[in-house]
Amino acid sequence: MKQTPVTTSKSSDPDISVLESQALSKKNAGQYKDAIDLYKSLLKRANNTEWREALAQCYLQRALAFAAKGMVKEALVLWENYARNAEPPHKARDHYISWLLQTNDMTKVKTCLGQLSAQQLDEHYPELAGLLGLLIITGKVSCQDMLPKDSIFMIHLGFVQEALSAYRNNKLEDIEPALKKLPFRSAFRDFRTLMKAALLIPESVEQAQALLTKIPADSPYQQAGVLLLAITHGGATLVNDLLQLTAPQIKIIKEAKNLNKKQIELLDVLTKQKDRLSDKLKFNLTIQYQALFGADLAQHYCLAALSPYPAGQRDFTKHFGALNDFEAWRLKALICERDRDFNGAEYYWQQGITVLKKQSAESALKIALIMRHIAEYQESPEEAITWLIDSLDHDPDDRESYVKILQYYERQEQETDAFKEWLDKSIKKFPNDVEMLGLAIKAATRNKAFKKATQYAQALLKIDPVNTFAKQVLFTSHLAHARKLIKSKKFHLVEKEIQQAEKIAIGKRCQTQAQLMRGFFVYAGEDKKRGEQLITETMQKYNGGVFNVHFYVFMEALLLNLPMAPLLKTLPPLEKNYLLSQQEIIQLTQLIQQYADDDSANQTHLHKALEKVKVIIKHSLKQSLSEETLLTLCQCLDNIRHFELLRACVKIARPLWNKPIWMYYRVYAEANGNPAKCSGINRYRLQDGLKNAQEQNDQRATALIGKFLDQYYESHKPPSFNFFDALFGGSDDDEDSIDELFGHLPEDLFEQLERKTIEITKKNPPERMLKILAADYLSNNVTMMRDLFNDPVALFAFLMLKAADELGIDIGVTAKEIVECFNDQKAPSKPKSFPFF
Amino acid sequence: MKTPYEQLEVADLASDSEIKQAYLQKVKLNPPDRDHEKFQQIHSAYEAIKNVTSREKYALFNYPEADFDALLDQAFSNAQPALMSADDFEKLLRASIDDKTFLIGNPKKTTV
Repeated sequence: MKQTPVTTSKSSDPDISVLESQALSKKNAGQYKDAIDLYKSLLKRANNTEWREALAQCYLQRALAFAAKGMVKEALVLWENYARNAEPPHKARDHYISWLLQTNDMTKVKTCLGQLSAQQLDEHYPELAGLLGLLIITGKVSCQDMLPKDSIFMIHLGFVQEALSAYRNNKLEDIEPALKKLPFRSAFRDFRTLMKAALLIPESVEQAQALLTKIPADSPYQQAGVLLLAITHGGATLVNDLLQLTAPQIKIIKEAKNLNKKQIELLDVLTKQKDRLSDKLKFNLTIQYQALFGADLAQHYCLAALSPYPAGQRDFTKHFGALNDFEAWRLKALICERDRDFNGAEYYWQQGITVLKKQSAESALKIALIMRHIAEYQESPEEAITWLIDSLDHDPDDRESYVKILQYYERQEQETDAFKEWLDKSIKKFPNDVEMLGLAIKAATRNKAFKKATQYAQALLKIDPVNTFAKQVLFTSHLAHARKLIKSKKFHLVEKEIQQAEKIAIGKRCQTQAQLMRGFFVYAGEDKKRGEQLITETMQKYNGGVFNVHFYVFMEALLLNLPMAPLLKTLPPLEKNYLLSQQEIIQLTQLIQQYADDDSANQTHLHKALEKVKVIIKHSLKQSLSEETLLTLCQCLDNIRHFELLRACVKIARPLWNKPIWMYYRVYAEANGNPAKCSGINRYRLQDGLKNAQEQNDQRATALIGKFLDQYYESHKPPSFNFFDALFGGSDDDEDSIDELFGHLPEDLFEQLERKTIEITKKNPPERMLKILAADYLSNNVTMMRDLFNDPVALFAFLMLKAADELGIDIGVTAKEIVECFNDQKAPSKPKSFPFF
Repeated sequence: MKTPYEQLEVADLASDSEIKQAYLQKVKLNPPDRDHEKFQQIHSAYEAIKNVTSREKYALFNYPEADFDALLDQAFSNAQPALMSADDFEKLLRASIDDKTFLIGNPKKTTV
């Protein structure tokens, strides 16, 4: 095939040099087509060996590239071009033979195979040998006569045929010895694995499956392995396997699995419709093949499938009977929840509750759970709490509900009787509950009911003796009580209170607090001089610096209503240009926090004390402080809502650090903590800050900014604009009335009724419509008619009622309720035209 | 998707103690340090049905899942393979090859 090469020296022609360089460059860049053209034109000018060799390589690479794309015929032509231009031995001859096999060119196959040496077949072309082995075994190609007789391949083929013959003759004991003769490097090694796996079925299916995983993905036996694996599978896995196979392959597996007629029938449908398995088809198949699936499972599936395929409702009822009332409402509610239509869900749950209420007492827990479930998605906390409270009528022992109710009332700005009532109820119901006792302690301390707080804390410590919160509360409560006693001049009781506080003092700071209180007690009730001395001594031991000593004494004197000047005089003087060190600022922060946590003090006291010293604080902030120190101080100032100092902190921090939290504090302080006062530009700053916080995974800043932005949007919300506004140019009152009357309806039902109202108004001229409504709902009362029908919103409400009646839906609204709703409002001074007429 | 009852392999009417026992048994076989995800599934299943209230909640607030695979599992659960004859084996081998192209279902490697 190859032309006789004529070696010619390269020409010195500059054109040829350029061409040669271009051809090489194209070849190196993998642009073989262009390279081939260039080399061909070079070879027209001179028969150069190097060029021819390069041309051959380009043909070979293109052949392989085409084969990789499945374009085997093109690959064959290109390989032959390669062979014509290259010196033997030729590369990729095994690929060429396999391409010939794929194109069924048996004449060329036989010629090529006849040229193969034993060494080539056994050592150089293992993939071709594997493929030929399978084709010979299966009788697809009869080519063994052309293969080298002295090859190992042929010996191994003999062993394989021996094993197959034993299998056919049912001499299973002879199979294993025959297969054992096939070594690991044999072209038939995957055949051995496959056959072993087949013989393990049905006894050791798992072992067979494990064996089959050993067949490599590029083995000729891989697809046979897939088929055998499918045979080992059952259930949905088997069906999914079959969906990937061809019809003849499926047929073999069906036979091997001994499937019954119905199973085969179902499989046929599934495999035929594999790309069109819609919800409807699955639903119908489930009903059709109930016997295969089992009635219970089929019913369960169809019930669930009604959600994506609601049109199946009639068939469902026909085959499985109607759902009980509660179940029907439950499913509707769950569908609404899935679609995030919580109004609808609430409506359907309520219907379900109505059904359950008519049933036995055993339904009480269900009712309570549904009510708590509804509470979870209420937007308004008031509504949620109402649901929780109602739920306790049906299941009165639910601790979680009590805790949530208490937490809700506790968060109210002003303590209500409801909180006291629920706290009493809860403590009575759960006397040994740590969380309830904690809430009770907090409430008692807040109300300055120290005796009660002490009792609750003691009860809590009995259950949990190391509870730090209870200890701290007890300590603070004793001191606060001592303070109260000093103020009311019941001095004989103070010492006992301080001693009790000292007994549970946790840490050095508490001891200082107790000693300072003793100093004040002696000062106020016994001996001023000795009191001053005690206060001074305690403050000397306190390492907070002169500023903090003054602040401390100032705060205590303020809380005890004692004159400050004489006491402050006993302390080292506080210079006006005093500078707090970083450590002192940290201690000041702790001190402020200590009084902020003490419910017996209040923000007014703290603000009053800080007012006196704010100049010094602002001045001190200008020193170089760490970001952490300043941030902690900001958090503390945020707690007591001291925006002036907060602004001072931010002013220092902003040029130094760029964490999103600083942007938050800047905006927050500028708006005095009130989102309504936040400017538009600051809103944009915060949005930027939120994005940064999220990117930096700063959860605290994300939460703070997110909350503030939510409140901002809430406070800047434009007046509502909805369907009724558009329809009637309606006011909030209009919307309120419709909401009051129909707000409980699910969205889909509301829309259905709305569509029906339009239908009714189109069907009846206005006058006739009004007459119908008046007759149906107002007993033809002319005065009432005039008043109500002049208000388009009232007219719409009656139309909705009419629509519901015509559709046969009980929406739980009566004509009387509509009349009452609109009589409560002032009738509009000027009638508006109704847009439908 | 298995129900919590299926995950813990307990009956729908199993008692608290039976469920707990099954849970502990499962945890013993699948400790959190071995396969944390599996452990989490078992734990979540237990939390969903551990007492009367949680079981009632599960029954009320879980929409039944339309699991077509579960139906197929049931329909073909008895599709056990029989002993494979030599004839079937050879048919299977033949069926693994495309008659026209002799392709084996996976493209042959083409690197040299």
